[in-house]
Parts: sequence; structure tokens; C-alpha cells
Amino acid sequence: MKFQGYERPDGSVGVRNIILLMAVADCSEPVARMIADGIDGVVAITQHYGCIPGEMVANTLIGVGENPNVAAVLLVGMGCEGMPAQPLGKMIKQTGKPVDWISVQESGGTRNAVARGKQILKAMSERVLGSKRREFDVNKLIVGVKCGGSDTTSGLAGNPAVGAFVDMLVDSGGGVIMNEPIEAVGAEDPLAKRAINEEVRKKIYKMIGNEEKRWSVPGAQVEFMCKGNVDGGLTTIEEKSLGAIHKSGSRPVKGVLENSSRLLEKVPEGGGFYLQDATHMEPMSMSFMAAAGAQIVIFVTGCGGTFGHAVVPMIKVTGNPETYRRMSDDMDINAGTIISGQESVESVGRRIINEVLEVASGKPTLAETFGYHNFSVFRVDPRLEALLKISE
Amino acid sequence: MMNPKDNVATALENLEAGVSTSVILPSQEVFKEVTTKQRAIPFGHKLAIMAISKGDKVIKYGEVIGNASQNIEPGEYVHIHNVRSNRMQMPEVWYREEE
Repeated sequence: MKFQGYERPDGSVGVRNIILLMAVADCSEPVARMIADGIDGVVAITQHYGCIPGEMVANTLIGVGENPNVAAVLLVGMGCEGMPAQPLGKMIKQTGKPVDWISVQESGGTRNAVARGKQILKAMSERVLGSKRREFDVNKLIVGVKCGGSDTTSGLAGNPAVGAFVDMLVDSGGGVIMNEPIEAVGAEDPLAKRAINEEVRKKIYKMIGNEEKRWSVPGAQVEFMCKGNVDGGLTTIEEKSLGAIHKSGSRPVKGVLENSSRLLEKVPEGGGFYLQDATHMEPMSMSFMAAAGAQIVIFVTGCGGTFGHAVVPMIKVTGNPETYRRMSDDMDINAGTIISGQESVESVGRRIINEVLEVASGKPTLAETFGYHNFSVFRVDPRLEALLKISE
Repeated sequence: MMNPKDNVATALENLEAGVSTSVILPSQEVFKEVTTKQRAIPFGHKLAIMAISKGDKVIKYGEVIGNASQNIEPGEYVHIHNVRSNRMQMPEVWYREEE
């Protein structure tokens, strides 16, 4: 299986050719948006944990900048941040792609920073926007799988269909990443049985156990499922998890990718299925998968959803025939045909892999046709980790 | 139903109260017939396909999804009003709203 992608200097392959404008903290976001305004191919992002967001956020922003869908990066900082633009930029630059950074303070305020930023972006555009796609094997493709707004059709149709796709992609040499350990609480055993060795098996239980501690603190009333889940028929976290893990397919779990203040581990070369220790909340979850190298994400939903991601095209799959009917403008794949008995799980899985190869080769997802570029990041608070006695 | 070990099944269409319906396996084979009780089952929600006593395991996908918090009769609506997780509980207000 092949797709048409963009080769990057580090040998990775992008499915999009994005110029990323990254405001390192929300204080410089307005300047970044003014810089991006009117320039084609530019996606502007920021993060909202302020200017001392911690290592996990820094790792995520670096990883997102390194993502092969990103052709070039301009970082914008105010200048006095605890996490300034320059060191982040230097890390991303190691990929060999064009990377530059500006400080609003050093540039001399809004007008000067905007003028300088636009000048840099124009030069970047001329350098990267003319590049052409060429053919690559699917072993260069990493797909993230995620579900959200789940109802009971997700476990019966949407997730099994994506699971069938995952097996097909892994068997063809591709890589797959899945996070959201909260949605494995109650489904540890079926996942752990697939671990390639004892070390991975232990890491699976540890990752899920840690997430359970974070979301069930005695004395705190915490919502870990949404109203739509319960309205959609899901009764407990165990039921939700057992449905959610269907999207992981059935192939061996090759590893649990670390995501801590120390390290955001990438999906290794060589394909296969990996778990990632990262939150379930989309699109934060998708930022983590993008930072680990995913070029495409598949989002399985029961209730529906209208969003995309800044750097990874998102293919939406619904297993709910009514949701597909109501929101067909936003749902790329209808897996509701399984519920209505018209189509097999494998048949929908084949449609998904065909769609993935087309999207990888440039076909816009429905989210992209609307110009959706959601971006957010998540941090595990080191103070809470210490209080809950969660070790990395 | 998703697995022959299951004691609940998912409604693939809205089921009225007091109607007989076929419970099918993923192979489309009919497992048994069940008559819904006094409550209708909305699309995607679950019904018991056999008696489940208070404290017994509720099984879907062949795995435990929680335990019955009260006795459940065959054909009865199964949801947060009569099943509790063994792992993590939602805030109490969620269960009150269902009453």
C-alpha cells in the first residue's frame, strides 16, 4: 500500500505541508494571529497554561513542531517567558526543517514584530510551499486512533470498524498510536494480554492504574464521563472502556510510549501498535499523538463532533446511523451500516483504510473543508502527581 | 448481545415497554427472545436478558461492566439506576438525576 506525501529532511514523511506559527504562550497569541493573517498555508497555534507551563507542555509544543506534516515553524514569544521561543525553536530545528523565532519585546512592539514576522513567513512560504508529493510505502504512516462523544454504537460499530482498519494497517507495516488510559479502566486485561513482553505488560497496568488515581481522588466529585455518554446508553467506565479498546484492533501492543516531564517518546520506526500515556480529552489527546509523530488521526464518535486539529487531518467515523444522518456534513465515514445490518465490520474497515490513504495523499477531510484547526495541550500537574504519590 | 456470556443486550432500535424482541449474537444468530418490562428501552441502551440479582456481575463483551445495585428482571432496562461501576463512581448528582 502506498500514499503520496512530502519528504522531510529527517526522513519522515508529511501528509500536509503546513507552516506553523506558534505563539509559545497566550500573551503573544494576538501578535501571532496578526502575523498569520492573510498568508496562505499558515496555521497559528498557542497554549493556555501561561508562560511557565512546565516541561510536559514544552515537550508537546516541540513534538508538534517536529511533526512531519509541519514544513516550517515560526515561533513567537513575548521575550520574558519561562518557556521562551528560542530554545523550543532550536530543538525543532534539529529536524532540519526551516525554523525561526522572534521576540515581540526585542522586535520593538506589535507593529515591528508583525512586520518582521510577516517577512519571515513570506520567505518560508517561498521555500516550502512549492514542494511536491511523491510516493511512499504505508510503513511511513502513523495513524492515531481516538474516540469521543461515545455512545453504545461506538463499542458495537465505530470502534470495531476502526479496529479492523488498525489490523489492516499494522499488517501492511504501518504504525498506530492510541492514548486515553482512563478509557482502559476495566479493560486492562484484554489489552495487557496483547503485550509483546512482560515489561510492556507491566507498563500497561501501571499507566492505567496511575490514570485511575488521577481521576478518582477520594472526597473529590470528579466527572470522567460526559453526559452524552450516559444519554447514549453507557452505564459505567468499564463498559465505556471495553467499547473504546475495540478501536485498537487485535495486534500485539509493542510498547507504552512515555509522556512525562522528562520525555515525550515518539512512535518508533518499524510500524505496529503502540499505547501512549496521555490524556483522553480531545483535541489535547490529538496534540500528544501529533507530538509522537502521528500524521493522521481517526476520531470515532457516537454523539457527533465538529472539530479538527491544527497539524493532523482528522477522519471522523460514526457508528450511529442517526448521527450520520443528522451530521453527514461532518462525518467522513458512516459505520452505522453495521448497526443497520447492511455492512460487515471488515467492509467498513476496508473503507477506512482507503480513506486514510486518500487523505494521506491530499484529499481534504470534512473538518479540513471547514478550516477547523483546533489546538490545545494538556499538562499533568507535578504538584498533584506528588500529592497522589504517582511516580513517573 | 456481544458475547454468549453476556447477561445484557443493547437495543438496536427504540423498544416499547412490554414487547417481545429477539436477542441476537454478532453472528446474527438468535440467542433468545426477551419481553421488555414496564420501561421502554431507548436505542443504544441496555436490557437484561436474564435475571441479575443485586450484587451480581453485569456482563457485556464477555467482561464485567459493573455490579447490579438492585435485583434486575429479564427484559428490564439496565442503566445507571441499577448498575454501579466496580472502579470509579460518577458524582452522586448523576445518579440522583436519573431517579
